[in-house]
Amino acid sequence: MNNEVFEALDELLRSPRAVAERTRSGGDLRPLFVASLSALSLGAGVFGATLATSRGGLQLLYSGLKLPLALIATLLLVVPAFHAISAGLGRRLSFSGMVGLTLAAAGRGALVLVALSPLVWLSFDRGLSYAPGVLLATACYALAGLAALGLVLRGIGFDARGFVIVTLFGAVVLVTGGQTAWMFRPFLGRPGAASVPFFRGRQGSFLDAIQGSAAATLGGNRPAPDVNSSELRSGDDSR
Amino acid sequence: MEQSFPALSPDQAPALRALPESFAEATSEPLSSVEALPLTLPEPEDARHDFARLAAGLGFAAVYGLALGARAGGMSLVRHSLAASAGLGAVALLGVPSLFVLLALANVPVSPGAMLAMAARASSSAGFVLAGLAPSAALLAVTVQSAEATASIASAGLALAGAIGMYQMLRTVRPLVSTLPFQLRLKSYALLSAFGVFAVLLAARVWSALPILQGGR
Repeated sequence: MNNEVFEALDELLRSPRAVAERTRSGGDLRPLFVASLSALSLGAGVFGATLATSRGGLQLLYSGLKLPLALIATLLLVVPAFHAISAGLGRRLSFSGMVGLTLAAAGRGALVLVALSPLVWLSFDRGLSYAPGVLLATACYALAGLAALGLVLRGIGFDARGFVIVTLFGAVVLVTGGQTAWMFRPFLGRPGAASVPFFRGRQGSFLDAIQGSAAATLGGNRPAPDVNSSELRSGDDSR
Repeated sequence: MEQSFPALSPDQAPALRALPESFAEATSEPLSSVEALPLTLPEPEDARHDFARLAAGLGFAAVYGLALGARAGGMSLVRHSLAASAGLGAVALLGVPSLFVLLALANVPVSPGAMLAMAARASSSAGFVLAGLAPSAALLAVTVQSAEATASIASAGLALAGAIGMYQMLRTVRPLVSTLPFQLRLKSYALLSAFGVFAVLLAARVWSALPILQGGR
């Protein structure tokens, strides 16, 4: 079993095509599940803790726990949507294959996050402030997401219909994952705060923030909810 | 875990298999002779199966309604689940019989059973998509504070499901229509396009009764 898990882990990194084939074939998916879940937990944990180096202390532990939890919660919420969308558009996988494919994709994305963690740590260590830090983290998530969706595309079929399915699924993941992560804040933490909360109180939402940012960018005066410009300047943030 | 949801591939739909060769030969005759043809699309072996499928689609849609109703809870759960199902139900019960009559008037050889199977397939697909989106919708409906953003999310889910339902309907009808003579094919596509527009407008009208889309809870 251990060898099989390591083989699956190796496939996650080197051979997304083999992973996709494995999920389609309907064989024993347990090694892939274990490998993907391990990669997801460790990878997202390391990246979460790296994000928290700007705050340090207990925030390292909290963020290291919360990022994998947010990813797993997102997966639980979006797998039924993925299954329904792909079935509706004529690409049916078994439900276990679908779960295996999404879990493997998330694991692969988490491995990309691990690979980017040293860069993020170095950036914060060199004094990167909040706003550019958020942009850097967003870029890392985007790269990880592309790697994950690439695997999903191989699993569902690399053609126009597969592309439509993955695009729709990506939109569902973006909205659901964004809101889940928003609920699990803070990941970076306030440098000046006396205590470190595990969760923040409910305040705005991911979509509200996007709406506010879009309005502000397009020339409106409405600030993004939960974004205090003085906090941004000083790096005294809560995300 | 294999899901037991009915197959969505048109290849597996007994009621909507390709027309028999004899019909294909007959339809190569001039248009006037088509009027004398019997309704050659095979009747479903068991209409109960299609009714069950239709009901499953409406039930799945109700799950999405429950997810939206979770924003306010209480009676809102019932209101949203009824309204979400009603959108699909209205198209199936009001739109499809009309489409059948119009297609029959245009001499397109369709049977009520085939139309029922088509409606069942489309509504079950749309409902299945809505049910799949329900967990995400519940999270967003409960946690997103902005009423406009929540309404947009709910609308996007309904639009996606409706589009997939229409796609399944067209996918089901295409093998039938493609074997028809040119004029009949043209009429069929025109009627189906008009039906598509009507279905969108009707579903949108019914779904607009969802309190969450009116900025309410």
